[in-house]
Amino acid sequence: MMDRRSFVKKVLNGTIAGSLYLVWPMGGDSLEIPEEIPGIKGKDYDILHQEFAFIVDVTRCIGCGSCCVADKREYNVPDGNYRTWVERYVKGFSDQIYVDSPHGGLDGYQHPRTDIDEKIRDTFFVPKLCNMCKEAPCVQVCPVGATFISPDGFILVDEKRCVGCAYCIQACPYSARFLNPVTKVAEKCTWCYHRVRKGLLPACVEVCPTGARKFGSMKDETSEVYKILKGPGVLTVLKKEMGTFPALYYKGARREVI
Amino acid sequence: MDLSYRLRLLIVVLSIGVLAGGGLLFKQLLLPDSFGDYGPYRADAITEAALVPIRHGTNTSCFKCHSHEAKFHKKGRHQTISCEFCHGTYADHIADDKKIGTLPVKKEKEITTLCLRCHNTEIKARHEEVIKTVAMPNHLKDQTVKITHNCNQCHYVHAPLKYIIRAKQITGLMEAGS
Repeated sequence: MMDRRSFVKKVLNGTIAGSLYLVWPMGGDSLEIPEEIPGIKGKDYDILHQEFAFIVDVTRCIGCGSCCVADKREYNVPDGNYRTWVERYVKGFSDQIYVDSPHGGLDGYQHPRTDIDEKIRDTFFVPKLCNMCKEAPCVQVCPVGATFISPDGFILVDEKRCVGCAYCIQACPYSARFLNPVTKVAEKCTWCYHRVRKGLLPACVEVCPTGARKFGSMKDETSEVYKILKGPGVLTVLKKEMGTFPALYYKGARREVI
Repeated sequence: MDLSYRLRLLIVVLSIGVLAGGGLLFKQLLLPDSFGDYGPYRADAITEAALVPIRHGTNTSCFKCHSHEAKFHKKGRHQTISCEFCHGTYADHIADDKKIGTLPVKKEKEITTLCLRCHNTEIKARHEEVIKTVAMPNHLKDQTVKITHNCNQCHYVHAPLKYIIRAKQITGLMEAGS
């Protein structure tokens, strides 16, 4: 039983708590994803003294497919071709690996795999994109000099020179290239070169909700990628034995990832 | 005899010179303008690649006008989600600081589909420390709401716990008072 005084007291307490809630910040995570690459916007871009790195944190990828959607929208990539895509790795107890990537992860992963009979030990997502190799096989094989390493370390495609012979598509060990059915140009991910030159992050990094994709300048000692790459954590590259020396690093990628 | 030998030599040297010179000239004509500025490729292609139009803005560019949503989005658990992922690209909406089109608003089941892209427990590999996931329709049953409910009937999409925390505070008050 409650008397009138204590009832009024409690109501007042509640009102104060409620109004406090309105001004108090809601318990957001401290995860902060920067929106711009510092030191580029509004300045002269010195193409000869730039170095960039891309880090994919496999342990943070949730397979939502935001990156694939953003990528498709940024470039109007035709259906069935992917500049970036997300693979799902499923590892059974017999150490059998099952990899799938329906629509390149464009629709996200709404359903679990049902075609696997054995018990599943582990499952994880691996986003893939151009590795920006320092020794790029696609550049070596291009007969017309249409694909090249720019002085700032990007592998770009000269759309006016490309003859669509698809040598580079065969040469790429990461299957990052495709022949655009509309323009007949062998396209690939450029780490959003046009955005980087304006100081913006690549579209996929911009939209990643968990910070699984990180991009930044290696000339900037305060950037996250600089700290991670110079830090003690273990980073791997894909297909190291190919000797391509990628500038795309994976954090937390397991041995099974190829 | 001697003269004809020299003449022949001259003809050979001259023709080599003409061929080499002509070849070089021909090569120069065929090579694009900026070829070789940095390496064996057209340097202008770099400039062209840098001039591709940008289609995605940043959240800050959206918040410039949409200040009401910004107020909640920046503070809530969804602060790292890009506006453009759900709503569409900036370039479809704004050109030269002017509105050129309306982005479609997601409704009802579309919202649930969008939410489940990330928050679906059925898909493993989503760690607890990275994201909170729910199983459908178990989550709706546990919360004793109709299983036809959409996510946004309880969760404000820009700050998903806004209404939940508020409701808990109100019901907490009632529980304490009873």
